[in-house]
Amino acid sequence: MANIAIQRIKREFKEVIKSDEAQKCAINVELVGDDYRELKGEIAGPPDTPYEGATFHLEIKVPETYPFNPPKVKFLTKIWHPNISSVTGAICLDILKDQWAAAMTLRTVLLSLQALLAAAEPDDPQDAVVARQFKENHSLFLETAQYWSHVHAGASRGNSEFANKVKCLMDMGVGEHQALVALSSCNWDMERAIEQLFS
Amino acid sequence: MASYFDEHGCNPLPRGEAPDDYLHFARLILHGGYWQGMQMEYSHLFGEKPPPPASKTFVNTLKTSKVTENAGQCAVCLKEWVKGDFNTLPCKHRFHPSCIIPWLEKTNSCPMCRHELPTDDEDYEEYKRQKKRQSDREAEIKMLHNSMFS
Repeated sequence: MANIAIQRIKREFKEVIKSDEAQKCAINVELVGDDYRELKGEIAGPPDTPYEGATFHLEIKVPETYPFNPPKVKFLTKIWHPNISSVTGAICLDILKDQWAAAMTLRTVLLSLQALLAAAEPDDPQDAVVARQFKENHSLFLETAQYWSHVHAGASRGNSEFANKVKCLMDMGVGEHQALVALSSCNWDMERAIEQLFS
Repeated sequence: MASYFDEHGCNPLPRGEAPDDYLHFARLILHGGYWQGMQMEYSHLFGEKPPPPASKTFVNTLKTSKVTENAGQCAVCLKEWVKGDFNTLPCKHRFHPSCIIPWLEKTNSCPMCRHELPTDDEDYEEYKRQKKRQSDREAEIKMLHNSMFS
């Protein structure tokens, strides 16, 4: 990796660790391996959102040409959000694409992702199914996102109705995550979810 | 008699090369001013990539100064200012030459504040001109309204 990239990532790594946000456990980074090519990021779900109380893990890959090109970031933790793929964790955020600027850092990227969790852009979606639910059935979107945070990201509040429906499908031999995806994308309509799974 | 290509100010394609119809269509939409009515932006026409590089003349004529005081750091490499050279952009932000030049060879804005610099890309410059004309027109109409009704 080019010299400027390594030196900068080292400085940024320290900046994140020492930042006020890290002290409050809102963001964090860890090394993966002993070079600085790949990092693991962590962000806390912002308060007053369905992601509150949850912790999301991110894969951060630093390109050779950093900081002239943006880092490649995706969610490792499964999340229900219009701008993040519920399947791959790919993120649709302009600063990670054409709006990147060389003065942005790991800290500002993590904080921007946290802001994205608090303010979704359903008109520029990454996951069309989630975006449609966000626009057409917003209260169900909030409950679904909250339930995903509980199941995958350690948020405390669960939902017994959703849990029962998932269990019902699991009794039919469907995997837990598969059941969750089918129900979430069918607005928790049991019949439609079954049709989608078994047709 | 002047050839077709001379008359139209273009060159024939080399043998075996096909014209880039998408590019021509995008240029037609841009230069005809149709993109505004279609609620399009530059990225819709020319792809989701950063704006084009800063113009070569701009980069070559950037003024270089010597670092005198040590306060602050260069926002690209994050190193403190120590002895050496720096370049100042029109927005007054300062960077090491080895930090800012590779950036301006990629895109045309200040890494700190996105202040836009001139480019060598004709399509992009035309887009900026039309955008400015549109915002000027809106400002004029607003001024006219205010003077009529206040």
